[in-house]
Amino acid sequence: MTEAPPRPAPAAPVRDHGAHREADPHDDGVAGTGRAVGSGVLRYGGAERATGAQQYVADLPFPDAAQVAFVTLPVARARITAIDTSAALALPGVVAVLTADDLPQPVPRFGISHQDRPVIADGEVVFHGEPAAVVLAETVDQARAASRAVVVHHEPLPGVYTLEAALAPDAPLVHHPSVRPASGPAADSNVLDDAHYAWGDLEAESARADVVVENTYSFPMVTHFPIEPGGTVVVPTADGGVEVYSPVQHPYLLQRVLAKVLDLPLTKVRVLAPDPGGGFGGKQNPRYEPLMAFLALRTGRTCRLVHSLEDTFAMMRRAACRIHARTGFASDGTVLTHELRADYLIGAYADVAPRVMSKGSYVGAGPYRIPAVRIDARAVLSNTTPSTAFRGFGCPQVAWATESQMDAAARALGLSGLEIRRRNLIGRGEAFVRGECPAPSDGDWLESLEKAAALIDHDAPRPPGRGVGIAVAIKPGATSGLSQSLVRLLYDGSALAYAGTSDMGQGARTLWQQILADELGVGLDAVSVVSGDTDRVPFDLQTSASRSTVFMGNAVLAACRDIRAQVLELFAEATETPVELLGEGPGVLLTPEGELPLPEAARIALGSLRGEFVGRGTSRMRGRSAHPLGGDAAFYEFNCTAIEVEVDTDTGELLLLKHVSVSDVGTELNPLQVVSQDEGASIMGLGHSQMEQLLVGEDGVIRNLGALDYRIPTFKDVPVELVTAAVANADGPGPYGSKGISEGALLCTAGALGAAVTDAAGVVLRDLPITPERVWRALHDQTD
Amino acid sequence: MTTFAATGPSPDHEDPAVTVSTTVNGEHRTMSVPAHRTLLEALRDQLALTGSKTCCAEGECGACTVILDGHPVTSCLVLAVEAEGREVTTVEGLAPQPGELSDLQEEFLAAGAVQCGFCIPGQVVAAECLLRANPTPSTAEIREGMSGNLCRCASYERIVCAVHATAERRAGA
Amino acid sequence: MRYTSPRSADEALGLLAEHGAGAKVLAGGTDLLVALRHRTVEPAVVVDIKRVDDFDEPVRVTDDAIVVGPTATMGRLAELEEVRRRHVALVEAALTVGSVAIRNRASLVGNSCNASPGADTAPVLLALGATVTIAGPAGERTVGLDDFFLGPRRTACGPDELVTALHLPRPRPGSGSAFQRITRRRGVDLGTVSIAAVLGPDDDVALGMGAVGPRPLVARTRLGDHESTAAAVEHLVAAATPIDDVRAGSDYRRAMLRVLARRALDTAARRRDEEAA
Ligand code: FES
Ligand code: FES
Repeated sequence: MTEAPPRPAPAAPVRDHGAHREADPHDDGVAGTGRAVGSGVLRYGGAERATGAQQYVADLPFPDAAQVAFVTLPVARARITAIDTSAALALPGVVAVLTADDLPQPVPRFGISHQDRPVIADGEVVFHGEPAAVVLAETVDQARAASRAVVVHHEPLPGVYTLEAALAPDAPLVHHPSVRPASGPAADSNVLDDAHYAWGDLEAESARADVVVENTYSFPMVTHFPIEPGGTVVVPTADGGVEVYSPVQHPYLLQRVLAKVLDLPLTKVRVLAPDPGGGFGGKQNPRYEPLMAFLALRTGRTCRLVHSLEDTFAMMRRAACRIHARTGFASDGTVLTHELRADYLIGAYADVAPRVMSKGSYVGAGPYRIPAVRIDARAVLSNTTPSTAFRGFGCPQVAWATESQMDAAARALGLSGLEIRRRNLIGRGEAFVRGECPAPSDGDWLESLEKAAALIDHDAPRPPGRGVGIAVAIKPGATSGLSQSLVRLLYDGSALAYAGTSDMGQGARTLWQQILADELGVGLDAVSVVSGDTDRVPFDLQTSASRSTVFMGNAVLAACRDIRAQVLELFAEATETPVELLGEGPGVLLTPEGELPLPEAARIALGSLRGEFVGRGTSRMRGRSAHPLGGDAAFYEFNCTAIEVEVDTDTGELLLLKHVSVSDVGTELNPLQVVSQDEGASIMGLGHSQMEQLLVGEDGVIRNLGALDYRIPTFKDVPVELVTAAVANADGPGPYGSKGISEGALLCTAGALGAAVTDAAGVVLRDLPITPERVWRALHDQTD
Repeated sequence: MTTFAATGPSPDHEDPAVTVSTTVNGEHRTMSVPAHRTLLEALRDQLALTGSKTCCAEGECGACTVILDGHPVTSCLVLAVEAEGREVTTVEGLAPQPGELSDLQEEFLAAGAVQCGFCIPGQVVAAECLLRANPTPSTAEIREGMSGNLCRCASYERIVCAVHATAERRAGA
Repeated sequence: MRYTSPRSADEALGLLAEHGAGAKVLAGGTDLLVALRHRTVEPAVVVDIKRVDDFDEPVRVTDDAIVVGPTATMGRLAELEEVRRRHVALVEAALTVGSVAIRNRASLVGNSCNASPGADTAPVLLALGATVTIAGPAGERTVGLDDFFLGPRRTACGPDELVTALHLPRPRPGSGSAFQRITRRRGVDLGTVSIAAVLGPDDDVALGMGAVGPRPLVARTRLGDHESTAAAVEHLVAAATPIDDVRAGSDYRRAMLRVLARRALDTAARRRDEEAA
């Protein structure tokens, strides 16, 4: 077992410049312990980002492009009765105004869960910010001016913006039954989908319970707020196809959707995906690319749209959630029953939200040993921004409730938050989801708990006004996947990896570079990674669910090993050495004369004709149709977070003194990147725990639209001390025992913070975010 | 029935272009911009200096930070015409040579501060100004001084490390 | 929109007279450019006053007062030794306005002219008894800041007028001041409530309040006239009429007014005593 040491806080800055730039294949020769993998190799493409040379979609030059602006309405839901484009068309520079009438009829729809989203509002806008028409003009100014000149005659319609309203018996329906999937709950309600998980004998176990805690929790709508708002450029090609530039996490999915909507073969839809400037799940799925493609094909012009930050508020958000929980415990703290009803408030189109609901609630009972569980979850439509994937994928919502329940019971039983978790946390191999498709723990999670407890000094006495909270949570990794990779080892010893993973900040390319360096024995500087182009790079299902390390990592690894086998074979032939006398290992060919660096062996094998080796790697995980998630998770992300807080009881303000996050990472392929991801997720978790929430008015319009009143954490919101650490037992399915790590650190932030506030101030908060005002209100109500 | 036409056409697109002469990254540059054009837009669109990024476009995120006459400013809140006769340094002007990195940029990489990278040009410019004003900042001073630069990847602690490391390096130099 | 950059105050006033409400004065631009972006203002002419060369110096320190010109930035002001010595609370307030980059642009006078009910520097300026000089076609006039703020984004400065200076009278010896505010996060934020207290040598108090009414407010009293400090605070905050908005509920604002007022008074008193010692 290896343990990564806790990382230094900034008081002792990490100093690592220039190190690990060269991999030495002779160093030790064991895969995974070479010089590159496992060391803090600097980010691939980092220099370009630090100098401003990196080109994001808005930075790409398209001198001949016409510019796009949307026409939106000041209401959330309305019937469009007529659109008068004449004034707009008369303005200088205007190329075209496109409405639903200009599209094939019925207006094509697309989607992930099902095909509910029209290319452009078709007779009705269903959420605030949905375009009713789109304008193309020579300049951005002209496009915007023209968008204001388009007259949309419309009748406001009643909409639903909250769970209460959406679930009311006479609620207006967000979706016409015709766009609902055939299966699923009643089409005459706003419940789009539901999920049910249950095991054990609730009645019998309830009868044994000494303490039952029952509460309702809420988790707000939050938006991704990528610092890069993003955009799309569509170039019509001479052969009637399109080239689409969009910073998407899933280029191949976008390609498929576009090909279907446009009725084009995949070869005529080329998606070029510049690196996203932050994705966090928000840039996974197609939204306005199909509309842009129609506009480009219709006008024959390159069409360019750069979003504003405000636009993204109408494009992406996390599902809000209300969770009712009833949990029974024996007097020793053993949890016996857990009943959860989780209603996810999704938006006006399904996007991937039903999956968020079913996958998130699947782990609703947490990483605990619970004999009887019942989970009922629903995805409820509303006339709001369609919710989509967001780091954590439905898990932080239920973890907030379940972790708070554990603490409520601990308080009732006189146990600490640490102790009650110790007593209930599942051991390796034990199933935390039981029933027909059990989900066993794939890590030593107690180790993470103890490590976090030690780092926060959990049991230390604290002065009044201070408190500590500790929480745990899990998230299922991908349940199916397919990643294909090509690797080329060139004659001069340089190498190329073609890997479709989107590099949105997690540093995927750095990992492929490290793997190639070790496996092929080439210098890090000699490795290039190609991604973001469906014409040049083989298929990758998607970049999500922290899957890439495992899926694409294994594909890249396989491609490298394919090359080694080919080198061996050709070397044997070229040097007339019997194959049996040869062997290969990471970075080397083993010959009777000794080890030969692989690039050298490759050169000898290729001989005077030169050429190169092309390796192929595929990593495929088929789902299981009988499984409620469509397959077993490839791995689980487990995290333990502990927070020490000081509460100003007059104002409700919190001072976060210390924040500890311990993730089970399997193997740290790149410790520097693991730190970045863990710290980043920790702070993002503090965002939804402390300050972030989209406030939707009674008219369905977002009231805090934009950076001024939607607050995300800043430098000064970082806890006084932020410590992240890893448990690394090489027990993951990825290369060298790795697991995905990008989401863990925000799964249970809220639970840890809530418990810490309760410990410090004696008040219990069940609604996120825990703002100063809410803390004050709780204290105030208590003294009343 | 409601009829909606936002605010009617605006005369923006008819604003006459003004010629602006300015020094950008040490070079004399001339731009032709309408009065409503921000310095950020002009740098990006007219001068093809796309290192300065657009996020909030209202002074809240710092992605567009540039140095104007020696002081960091959010270039989305400066009109391009205001830069007449002034000196502007963008992230592209910080490295000693094209293709090289400044010590601070190196430390950003070494500390693991660069994730998606979108905020990083603004962070680097802001941090450079911070170090010029205060060569040996404390952690609290760095957090305070940088708090106008948002990073959604939340590289905040990494950036603090990078600034400390640069300060040490400069002190030793 | 046309951009103008007058070289003299007269030229600037001429432009304002010519264009009236169609003209907007540009100093730091941190409010104006946001308004332009959201099209809440659509001026025909922008009058950039940063190249006017016959204003008083950006900041002039005299024995009786500190005179702040219309282009002096928050950042510059907060750096000045004499400002730091005389007006701690103003420095504290100025340093909460935006980020370093914003403070390098935002002008104190411009921010005052913007008359946001929540402007963080307004409470302290009110409590300090600041006055402004307004120049216009009919010459100059001096207006107390309390009469200057009329309502949300409305001031006594007419469309053809220009605020050319803000005067901060020298505090009487034996005074102390402090600034306090509540925000939704620790980093750069708009104040949910902001408070400034100026405590004079004979326990006379001026309490400036932001984000608790349609305009920044000030109330004055003498501590000795009340049974307790708490009673004095009640008296002082009585004028506030906070509302519910996206930043906070009115009851929270009302409660925070009292907490912050108390804290500001305590800090001001401590500073006063320290100075005396
Ligand atoms: S884009 Fe200028 S501060 Fe955000
Ligand atoms: S590195 Fe992604 S926003 Fe800062």
